[in-house]
Amino acid sequence: MRSFTCLLILALPAAAAPDGAKLYKEQCARCHGDAGQGVKRKYDQPLAGDLAIPQLAEQVWKTMPDGKPESLTKDEAAAIAAFMSEAFYSPAARERNKPIVPDPARLTVNQYRHAAADVVGSFRGGTNQWKDGGQGLKAEYFGNRNYGNRQKERTDPTVAFDFGTNPPTTDGKYDEHEFSARWSGSFLTPESGDYTFAVKSDQAVKLWVNGEVVVNALVKSGNQTEYTATLPLTGGRVYPIRLDFSKALQGVKDKKPKPVPAFVRLEWKRPHGAMEPIPARYLSPGWVPEQLVVGTPFPPDDKSLGWVRGTAISKEWDAAVTEAALEVSAYVVRHHEGLAGIDPKTPLDKRAPKLKEFATKFVERAFRRPLNADLKQAFVEKQFTAANGDAETFLKRVVLLAMKSPRFLVREAADTLDAHDVASRLSFALWDSGPDNELLAAAAAGKLKTKEDVRKQAERMLADPRAEAKVQSFLLHWLRLDHERDLGKNAQLYPGFDAAVVADLRTSLELFLDEVVRSKDADFRRLLKADEVFVNPRLAKVYGVSLPDATGFRKVTLDPGQRAGVLTHPYLLSTFAYSEHSSPIHRGLVVAKGILGVGLKPPQEAFSPLAASEHPTLTTRERVALQTKGANCQTCHNVLNPLGFPFEGFDAIGKLRTKDNSKEIDTTGRYLTKAGEEKLFKGPVDLAHFLADSPEVHEAFATQMFHHLIQQPVRAFGANRTAELRDSFAKSSYNIRTLAAEIAASAALASGGR
Amino acid sequence: MSFASRREFLRTAGLSAAALPFVLNLQSIAAPAASAKRKQRLLVMFSPNGTVPWNFWPEKTGKDFELKPITESLKPFKDRMLFLKGLSNRVKGDGDGHMRGIGCMLTGDILLPGNIQGGSDTPAGWCSNISIDQELKNHLQAKDETRTRFGSLEFGVMVPDRADTWTRMSYAGANKPITPVDNPYQMFKKLYGRKKDNEVLASVLDDLNADLKAVSGKVSAADRRLLEQHATLVREMEAELKADAQAKDIGHKVPELEAGVREENDNMPKISRMQTELIVASFLADFTRVATFQYVNSVGDEKMRWLGIEEGHHTLSHEGNDNKKAQEKLTKINTWYAEQLAHLCQRLAETPEPDGSGSLLDNTTIVWTNELGQGNSHTHNNVPWLVIGGGALGWKTGRSLDYKGVPHNRLLMSLAHGFGHEVKAFGKADLCKDGPLTDLT
Repeated sequence: MRSFTCLLILALPAAAAPDGAKLYKEQCARCHGDAGQGVKRKYDQPLAGDLAIPQLAEQVWKTMPDGKPESLTKDEAAAIAAFMSEAFYSPAARERNKPIVPDPARLTVNQYRHAAADVVGSFRGGTNQWKDGGQGLKAEYFGNRNYGNRQKERTDPTVAFDFGTNPPTTDGKYDEHEFSARWSGSFLTPESGDYTFAVKSDQAVKLWVNGEVVVNALVKSGNQTEYTATLPLTGGRVYPIRLDFSKALQGVKDKKPKPVPAFVRLEWKRPHGAMEPIPARYLSPGWVPEQLVVGTPFPPDDKSLGWVRGTAISKEWDAAVTEAALEVSAYVVRHHEGLAGIDPKTPLDKRAPKLKEFATKFVERAFRRPLNADLKQAFVEKQFTAANGDAETFLKRVVLLAMKSPRFLVREAADTLDAHDVASRLSFALWDSGPDNELLAAAAAGKLKTKEDVRKQAERMLADPRAEAKVQSFLLHWLRLDHERDLGKNAQLYPGFDAAVVADLRTSLELFLDEVVRSKDADFRRLLKADEVFVNPRLAKVYGVSLPDATGFRKVTLDPGQRAGVLTHPYLLSTFAYSEHSSPIHRGLVVAKGILGVGLKPPQEAFSPLAASEHPTLTTRERVALQTKGANCQTCHNVLNPLGFPFEGFDAIGKLRTKDNSKEIDTTGRYLTKAGEEKLFKGPVDLAHFLADSPEVHEAFATQMFHHLIQQPVRAFGANRTAELRDSFAKSSYNIRTLAAEIAASAALASGGR
Repeated sequence: MSFASRREFLRTAGLSAAALPFVLNLQSIAAPAASAKRKQRLLVMFSPNGTVPWNFWPEKTGKDFELKPITESLKPFKDRMLFLKGLSNRVKGDGDGHMRGIGCMLTGDILLPGNIQGGSDTPAGWCSNISIDQELKNHLQAKDETRTRFGSLEFGVMVPDRADTWTRMSYAGANKPITPVDNPYQMFKKLYGRKKDNEVLASVLDDLNADLKAVSGKVSAADRRLLEQHATLVREMEAELKADAQAKDIGHKVPELEAGVREENDNMPKISRMQTELIVASFLADFTRVATFQYVNSVGDEKMRWLGIEEGHHTLSHEGNDNKKAQEKLTKINTWYAEQLAHLCQRLAETPEPDGSGSLLDNTTIVWTNELGQGNSHTHNNVPWLVIGGGALGWKTGRSLDYKGVPHNRLLMSLAHGFGHEVKAFGKADLCKDGPLTDLT
């Protein structure tokens, strides 16, 4: 059972038209310190947050002083809140008191993998292109068992065929009971993680992923019909794939082939997914070159501020960097002829010019800028001399030095900002990788000087799969769906809610997010307001909609009038729920922290939810209210619970219900805005529409996107940066892509922005 | 090409010479304790398509046997030899003669039903059993005193780049064939890659430090903190590499392979020598106690043009006994393989054990075998099993024996028993009823 934490305050104490400073000193400073810095053994956390003054005043009045809540007048509480906010509590005050500068940062793990792959990939044309993406694989069917005598070429959306004893297509000539087929093209990884590929077949099969044979089952032996291989892959990248299938005895040709049945399926299990035929939307019939995949495991990055950042280095990290540098150097040595454009017939002693040219470009790509004469001498010429004519040693030295150099590993290894820094900032913001040739050329040509220049590049870059993956991963973070969570439900209460349904739900949500982001307007408000949900037949059955004749996912209006956008998406609702019951607290937390950006902190002790069996007459709402009624709890739950209750019309798998524990459901909720306005809601649609149009929500979204893309505190870019972002977001009619471009471009040009 | 060109393609002179002072030193201060169990190694060498029986098997049995032309080059090791005539692969089941020949050779068990069709018989898949080399690897790896870094190493020479029943002889278990490494550079990387990497790493550290210094001169104090941490870690790595290099520097010299030898038919002699040096080196370093050495594959069609033979081996092997020319060529081919074996024995014999317990050969049992008895009949009878060594297993060597047709499973059992692994059967149980071979010990 999941436990939740009773949320402690972030806010504090009390007064009237009277003197806020004086009241604070009398009532609060004993435990919180004169400047809200905290007092050891009393309350040692600093008072800092982003509640507006009226919200803070309400918290102060309701909860303070300790042990005597509501003893202050409302006016006194307001005065204290105003004083605190101005003196140290609010973001603006903190900005004034302690200016924040960006942290020096090294590459994050994901950035390392992308950047290394792209340095090597830059020597191969067409790496990571996603052409004709989403259609499936190129399929070729051959009349004999040896991939000769081609009968048919087409695009197959997925590879999941049961041919029986028949030929594979009706319109070709095939040897009796024998044929072969080949599926080829590329696939896109939607996110970083382990991908397990499975070929299921009763015939001879061979699978290549990223240029390597990962399944070689030309020999069928015994009863084995399933072959798997797992690869760690980086998200937002396009890798080549090929599957060969031969229905026939192998070895010496069968003189009298018998009519035996044959089947073949190409499946995968992606991170957060279930084993399924690789869906067409991740497949392309287009060919791409193989990529370097760094397999060395790294220690995880710091995420303590809510976004991934590379601000600390450890011995483990350094060891991983060394291992990875060795791995990359071995890869480069193995493939150097192709990468450097050396004809294999070139005598060893005639290769120096090409090797040096390659080495220079490699170091330039790794350092994301041209090499001056000194650097070229140090990283290329000197190494060539040291290698004493041995190509392998030369390449090893160059690659090791480049990949271990701070010029590669540190995001900005100099204090001055030049055009190449701008290019790097932009590419790390949008791709988590170094700049491509076009961006480097723009930097060299002085075309990254103005905001307009940079924005133009940013817009181009947003169409790249790496950018799409990064934006997608941000949206999942915004919805607090970026952690591994157990969605197992009580099978008796929710029959049929299995791993496949969970994977389908995630797909359904991702399809929706993709659709919104890729649409022309990319309108943020649709994320919260849209009344349609993607369902496939399996989901249709669980959620009770009719989906005649459909096989894949299709958009339907689920429970008309009852749902609005992502917050009522069944994936979100079932994620933020227990195995048997809904969880208004978790749902409220997503709304409060994620959507509204309210800075609630979860310190202190953990609680288990009250057991329903011990309160047989209560609804979930009533149990939650009972458990969190204490004054300590109320400082946060006063905000949280009323933001979760509007979703009580949905059960633990996000299915609509009319009663809870045989009682009518109360879906009313409330929120006190930063402007001090009390908003009351009845049901989730009401709440979602309020949120979609709320400036607080827009600002929270923009701020979090900033952190996700730039990986530095937004306040380091100016006290008004969030307000500016909010306004520019509004001006673009809440276009998500425009916001990403604006964030990336402005941070790229910010002086001292890193 | 003859053996004499060794220096041309292989610079291994340092190998035994470098080890010598260390060995002598050790011998002088510490002979192995009398109670310590003798080191036991197994090396299985394979060559394909059967032999030429009348030019292989000695006519006489017992101690007083003569060497026929094929094995003439092994004369220096005559007192270590055991000709084991009369062993038959009786496993039967699915698969053609070559498939069963190689697939059941070290496993003693049937091939699973599958989709690989041979020139005759039913199709088959992989073998249903572990092979004896892997069984012994597991046996040795289970104990601290015999555990080695790799446990086993599978060497190959010009093994075709396709995984099927004809190209695999070693199995980690049912349906788990092991791919031999036939590229010496790849094997070298496996054995020494890390050491080489560390050497290169150590040699670039000065440049790396200089770079860190140059970069940290350009940044503010806050940024320098990150770089200083980085520099500290590089210094720690430097110290570790140094310690590592010192710890390992007392072993043997790393063999040096000629660069750029491609995997081509005509490079077979070179590759054979390169692999031989790596086998010797990995025994010397005690990287493994079990190794297999697979020349081509069953049905191998290698063309020994360096012997003046233009036809492929398998093609020739179908020729009748009365085709004198063909039989002469087949004799030459098998003689060449025996010479490779002789060279390997020579290298092992001249290389002392680091612990002073004799030569590497003294503690190594080499088994040379084949998937067939003879190519033109595809017989599984009288498969040419030749053992060199075996003293370490307690076998009485320097003999020619004829078992007159018993299942070869019994030899596989004998090998297991020789290693102190007293299996009740190995492979198909009904072929093991009579236990290990008699008259070996």
